[in-house]
Amino acid sequence: MVVKRALAIITLLVIGYWLAVGLSQVPFGEDKMLIGQYYLDNVKDQTGAVNAVTAVVVNYRGFDTLGEVTVLFIASTGVGALLWKRKKKRTAKTEGSIVLTTGTRLLFPFVMLFGAYIFIHGHLTPGGGFPGGATVATAFLLLYLAYIAYEIPHRGFEVTEGLAGMGYVTVGLIGLAIGGYFLFDWIWQTWQFGTDNIGRLLSGGFIPIIYTIIGIKVGTELSGIIDNMVKEEVSE
Amino acid sequence: MNGQYASLLIALPLISAFFVPVFKGIGKNAVRYFLILVTALQTGIAAWVFKEVYTTGQPIIVIAGGWKPPVGINLYIGHFAALFVLIIAVVSLFMAVFSISAVKTEPIDKYAMLFLLLMLGATGMIATGDIFNLFVFMEITAISAYALTAYNKTGEAAEASMKYIILGGIGSSFFLIGVALIYGSLGTLNMAQIAQLAATMNPTVAQVGLALIIFGLAVEAEIFPLNAWAPDAYQAAPHPITVMFSAFVVKAALYAMARLIYLMSDVGSWNSVLRMLIIMATLTVVVAELAALRQKNVKRMIAYSSIAQVGLIALAFALGTQAGVDAGVFHMINHAVVKALLFLAVGYVAITLGGAEVENFKGLGKKMPRTAFAISIGAIATVGIPLFNVFWSKVRIILATIDVGYTWAAVLVLSASVVEAVYYFRLLHTIWFEGEGEKINESFVIGLMMLFLAALVVVIGVYPDYVWELARKAGEDIFNVTQYVKNVPLMGVGA
Repeated sequence: MVVKRALAIITLLVIGYWLAVGLSQVPFGEDKMLIGQYYLDNVKDQTGAVNAVTAVVVNYRGFDTLGEVTVLFIASTGVGALLWKRKKKRTAKTEGSIVLTTGTRLLFPFVMLFGAYIFIHGHLTPGGGFPGGATVATAFLLLYLAYIAYEIPHRGFEVTEGLAGMGYVTVGLIGLAIGGYFLFDWIWQTWQFGTDNIGRLLSGGFIPIIYTIIGIKVGTELSGIIDNMVKEEVSE
Repeated sequence: MNGQYASLLIALPLISAFFVPVFKGIGKNAVRYFLILVTALQTGIAAWVFKEVYTTGQPIIVIAGGWKPPVGINLYIGHFAALFVLIIAVVSLFMAVFSISAVKTEPIDKYAMLFLLLMLGATGMIATGDIFNLFVFMEITAISAYALTAYNKTGEAAEASMKYIILGGIGSSFFLIGVALIYGSLGTLNMAQIAQLAATMNPTVAQVGLALIIFGLAVEAEIFPLNAWAPDAYQAAPHPITVMFSAFVVKAALYAMARLIYLMSDVGSWNSVLRMLIIMATLTVVVAELAALRQKNVKRMIAYSSIAQVGLIALAFALGTQAGVDAGVFHMINHAVVKALLFLAVGYVAITLGGAEVENFKGLGKKMPRTAFAISIGAIATVGIPLFNVFWSKVRIILATIDVGYTWAAVLVLSASVVEAVYYFRLLHTIWFEGEGEKINESFVIGLMMLFLAALVVVIGVYPDYVWELARKAGEDIFNVTQYVKNVPLMGVGA
């Protein structure tokens, strides 16, 4: 046991040293911004977003984000597949105290509103679809924790999730049809909608639209994962 | 037609997977036939892309969002990607058909989504021209593979998936650290630009970064010592999924490894990385063949055999020569055909007779003659008998290995092939000369698929030149980095 632990520590130290040697040669913080500088210089004109991170994530490298949305979708589908039972029920036993339930009832709309605020303003303020969606899911988590009988409407949530995903791909396909490229920002570059409005809500090309889709998708997905995990099988 | 439409290869499986939860209320069979429809469409698109790339000789560069690389992400569908995207689509179509009889466990709608996304992930890994995008597609492939491994919900399946998740998670984190190191020192993520700038990279950083990336990919590529998850996962996963693992998931990772290695061939410490990979690959072959010898479960035995073949491919890619890469690609094609045939046939036996234990294979020649025949063709081909396809690629790999001077590796790999012959011929003996049995009705459709694959094995074996020509072009695509860089329309940011 001791030998095992000692060997593990020695191995880790060797790997750590090796990584440190590699890292020490990387000029972090120096002027190595090949592409980074391009993004900073052109982000407003080319995408209409004030938030450079969301512009990179949704517009310049939107392909990656489509992939990340898919990863999350796989995670929720996978959990759903592995915990699938013919009949499931919540098994919580004690109802939350009156302070908890009342507090939840009061907080729920505010959390939802704030979540929506985050994903709608992705092109202007820090945040975007993923944090916004996670915030929305937190609101549902609150309901699950405070009430023993609460359940999300599954069918509706699953359909919404699927439609949101299809919406993202469809926006990309419209780009292919209009601009000739998959995930082409047709709203900004072809329609030039909001070009004189940079920094205000109705700008940013398709970024707010995609982030709203992502927000809805992530919100419903994470709620679905929570729902799957807090339930247990009941024998018929 | 506009080359940008090749992006449908990614868009179609995605939108279809998202569509499944919307219509699944209609019924189980609707989901099953939808899966066949989508994979058939994908095969059509892949065939069009294949035809386009091989007739013009030019790669299709898909530019996502209209942002030229390196600012945006591009897909690079050259000779290699076009060929393998087609193989992926065809194998997926076959497996969608096989799923109808092979997958009875609920919930079928989730299975269909994960199936499509596994196909999507492998397609993306092979087509992408950006290393972070490669990571994203690798995650898509890996996470759907974790979920599909555990899909049967037996204790075994859960354990296999658990092992896979932990190893895969560690591997992906290492990959990501490697990407971060490369980005930190070069300031770009685009593969073509990395190749351009590779010579300027600090050799220590390059060595650490490349080694981390190879280490991360080795989990998916089943290279020793990171392949412990593979036999368990192959055995426990639903039968169609096992075929997909061995026919293309592992190939996608191997290809990504080869692509990144050759992109960075200008780096100072390149040869030391290659030597590490040669040792790992040779060990993979030897260890897997020896492990296969003692297996009582036929599916597990073939899983070990598949790992050994993958080791051979990795060896060929690690040689650092044109001949090696070509031979590796040729073996990839042959292996995809043979292992798809073997796992399909063994899976079919397992669902008909209830399990893939050796006992069930006694008298199979009398019970299910057509399936037994398919297994025999696959087994003989894998061993590498002349007039079957694997013979040609094995010979080429061995010759290429000796050419570079790694005689010890060639000798070890050849002796491992003898071991392979022992267990495959033992299996053939069990099938044809042991046990008695009544004839069982065999499915016509599955018989047809097996017949097609078996015919492919023999046709490639007798006329290897056409496929060899394809493999040579695809190998050129990986090895000739100068041409690769020239083909990507870099917009000259920072360079």
